[in-house]
Amino acid sequence: MDYNKIRALLEKYWEGESSLEEEQMLRHFFVTHTQALPEDLREAAPMFQYFRLEQEKEIPQPAARIVPLRKSKPWQHWMKYAAVLLIMAGVGYSVQQFRQKQHQLIAADWTQQDTFEDPEKAYAETQKALQLLSRNLNKGTEQMEKLSYFNDATQKIKN
Amino acid sequence: MSLELFHSQVMPIRPKLYRFAYRLLNNEQDAQDITQDAMLRVWNQQGRMAELQNLEAWCMRIVRNLALDRLKSKKYRNTELLDKADAMQASHQPNPHLAAEQQDVMDRVHRIIHALPEKYRTIIQLRDIDGFSYQEIADILELTMNEVKTNLHRARKAVREQLQNIQVYGLQ
Repeated sequence: MDYNKIRALLEKYWEGESSLEEEQMLRHFFVTHTQALPEDLREAAPMFQYFRLEQEKEIPQPAARIVPLRKSKPWQHWMKYAAVLLIMAGVGYSVQQFRQKQHQLIAADWTQQDTFEDPEKAYAETQKALQLLSRNLNKGTEQMEKLSYFNDATQKIKN
Repeated sequence: MSLELFHSQVMPIRPKLYRFAYRLLNNEQDAQDITQDAMLRVWNQQGRMAELQNLEAWCMRIVRNLALDRLKSKKYRNTELLDKADAMQASHQPNPHLAAEQQDVMDRVHRIIHALPEKYRTIIQLRDIDGFSYQEIADILELTMNEVKTNLHRARKAVREQLQNIQVYGLQ
């Protein structure tokens, strides 16, 4: 091959402007050329020889690893099941506690509603309570009467 | 995406993805893991398949991202790469002396390329070894075509300078 042609191709190659075909020609030239090269072409020879070697180098291809899909066994997820059970137990316990409290509150209400078994006794107690209430009310009205006296007096003074 | 589509569109590019991962990581086991992870990720993101223009570039991008994460997490040392360079096979030479010399030169080139920043190295690998077009590289690396060409130019320039050093001063 004409050295000048190689020089021109090399120039394009160093610039990063050569085509794949031109690069193939360069590789072919430097690998097959057996005579002594002109000095300016010598620098590129080892590189193209290296590229050819690398291209031809056999890289052992591993067989595709096919990983069979494993069927999961139920006991493999024991932690999930344990967590679900724990949550269920927790919820159950809190519901039970809530219900117990509700029952206690309702029961307390009922006991407060009916304090007497005997109606007569209840009547007597009610009377007592009402008397106490009326006594206190009377005390209040006595004071109010005093106020009305005071009112009348001020009216008379004004008139 | 059905299983059939996955088999017909994604599985055929698996070797390519593995090669790409292998070149990025230089480790068989890691490359295998990354490829497997990438396949799983593709399967899990099957909803995005419809909007994709280049499925292969998308898969490669996933591989690259995973490989870069792996590189960061493992804090790969350069020495690992150098160790790998020693394991490279020289071309068949009838003369042991010539073979050793050839091996030495190849090791040097390997070291030069692997000493490049990750972006430059990946671009050189995608273009000069895997033979991707500029557009495909742009899709894989999420760059514009001009950026790809610029980066490729800089990467090759860096390699060229190193090669010149070897040739002129016998450095490296």
